[in-house]
Amino acid sequence: MMKKLFPWSIAGLGLAMVLAGCSGGGNGAAPDDGASPAGDAGSAEGKEIKIGVMPKLVGIDYFNAAEKGAKAAGEALGVTVDYDGPVEADVTKQVQLIETWITRKYDAICVAPNDPDAISDVLNKARKRGIKIITWDTDSQPDARDFFVNQATSEGIAHSMMDIMAEGAGPEAKFINITGTLTAANQNTWMDLMETYRAETYPGMVNLSETPKESGEDQARATQVAADSLKTYPDLQGIFALTSVALPGAAEALRKAGAADKVVLTGLATPKSMKEYVLDGTVDKFVLWNVPDLGYLTVHAAVAAVKGELTEGATTFNTGRITTSRIEGSEIILGDPLVFTKDNIEEFDY
Amino acid sequence: MIKKILDKREVVLFIVLCILFTGFSMNTEYFLDLDSLLSYSRYWVAPGMLAIPMTFIIATAGIDLSVGSIVAMCGIILGVLYRDYQWPIAGACAAAVLSGTAAGAVNGSVSSLLRIPPLVVTLATMTLFRGVAFGISKADAISNFPPAFKYLGHGDLFSFNLNGNPVFVPSALGALLVTVVIGAFILRKTWIGRYTLALGENPVAALYAAIPVHWLTFGIYTACGFVGGVASLFYTSVYGTARADAAMGLELEAIAAVVIGGTRISGGQASVLGTLLGLLIIGILKYGLDLSGVRSQYVVIIVGVLLIVTAVFNEWMARRAGESK
Repeated sequence: MMKKLFPWSIAGLGLAMVLAGCSGGGNGAAPDDGASPAGDAGSAEGKEIKIGVMPKLVGIDYFNAAEKGAKAAGEALGVTVDYDGPVEADVTKQVQLIETWITRKYDAICVAPNDPDAISDVLNKARKRGIKIITWDTDSQPDARDFFVNQATSEGIAHSMMDIMAEGAGPEAKFINITGTLTAANQNTWMDLMETYRAETYPGMVNLSETPKESGEDQARATQVAADSLKTYPDLQGIFALTSVALPGAAEALRKAGAADKVVLTGLATPKSMKEYVLDGTVDKFVLWNVPDLGYLTVHAAVAAVKGELTEGATTFNTGRITTSRIEGSEIILGDPLVFTKDNIEEFDY
Repeated sequence: MIKKILDKREVVLFIVLCILFTGFSMNTEYFLDLDSLLSYSRYWVAPGMLAIPMTFIIATAGIDLSVGSIVAMCGIILGVLYRDYQWPIAGACAAAVLSGTAAGAVNGSVSSLLRIPPLVVTLATMTLFRGVAFGISKADAISNFPPAFKYLGHGDLFSFNLNGNPVFVPSALGALLVTVVIGAFILRKTWIGRYTLALGENPVAALYAAIPVHWLTFGIYTACGFVGGVASLFYTSVYGTARADAAMGLELEAIAAVVIGGTRISGGQASVLGTLLGLLIIGILKYGLDLSGVRSQYVVIIVGVLLIVTAVFNEWMARRAGESK
């Protein structure tokens, strides 16, 4: 009997020790904890401001470029900027990481959520603790954050991509869309607006696949999907690749198949990842915004929100480095999208 | 005496857990915030629940790679019935649990009746169930569940005061502990547990000993599906969203907890308490590293190293036990 009970008694002892340890530590932390309910604004003035910035995932060009901008803003403003995110575009990992960031008492958390709904509970929890929440790159539910730093209006992006397609493949082009995941909020918004704009301006253009092709933020998969689509739709004239990994992935497929003359490819990606494809003529034009500026503006907005300089109802917001930004409601808009071509692509190093 | 105690794997795991606790407590001031730690434990509940039937499966020298997909599929079934067919949430939950059980029964019947290795069967159903989830949800995420449903993932059983600070004990953690106790009871006190270990130790001998091997296998995989269905309720509730691409890799988290817990991958030896400790070790390690501000890339690497070290250690323990016999 003793033998069987032994492991369990160890576990019980362990639990007791854990609780004992916590109460000991709790004493030391008590003054700090006591200050937090009353000292939301006070904490910002006294000690150094700590901002947490979370991308959808780490380790891709796009978000590496944003990190540079975010860190630059941190240096310019004299605040601590920690930049971290999941290694895969997985919202559950983001939720767990934000949970620890709440415990670490960040003054503001800036997040590019992988799912607008799944992120919202934890963001609301953070806001209840007095942490300012800025979403950037892609939004959460609007009531779960203070501000959304939007890279460009969705209309601006959708329209310029459609225009590039019409210019390259003609106003009766047959096209398909390649997206990241089918639930990605940005891409879905763009596709809706592209469809509206198409119906109004280019009624002759045809979307061959109502359901966009999914590439899951995976470049190799995007190459595969694009190659398959070239076979599936022999009369295909255009491809929109709507994520920063889908576009170079699709470009690779086009180059391998030697289909650049027949199929116009455009979309969004970082200039660095597209340089070779633009210079060799596989892709003529694509769009993006200034990604380091997006990171810069995000941290700037977060610091202003923590200091109480940026409140609901403000209409102008100037960072010094970025002059094109404007505020619409609770959205801070970076500016119009940039169109990259052979002529300007070498100016950008991200 | 000390040597004997150290032969108990649970004791070793517990010491590891204590070391982690002490290390993180000294490393970061935030670690001893018990309320935050308990709040974070909500995210361990789904993998933790899955790890219990997984302990039985691995004890029979089997494996179930499909549980992550089962969780995603059940979540989607729950969401679609609630949103599109206006089922009451309790009915939708029941349907999700039943679907999970049915999915487990598919795994169990194919591997026991057709005698196809569970690795192959569940590798196939992993894709199958995931595909079903994408198909019936049309890859759309489902949210806006009623407040009563949110209680599963976000509710609290009770709260108490620790030095003036309230500490909330999540209800989901209670559900996990109930699962652990039931699992431990079945493994140690019932014929199911004895037969499971016998089957893993030597399947041929088990057959000759008139153990209903096929029924046992079928039952264990079905039970795993059932628990997968239950876990999907907590998983969907805690994240507030049902997604077809949810719970990716959840099966691996469950398997990792089992293996670290000392259950032999080749079968015949299992410990539910060990699995619980394994789960806590992985969970505390990730939590502590995140709290210390270690970047995610390195967290993944460190957890990987922990798994390798454990595998080597387990092998060494097993050999030592073999020699002393």
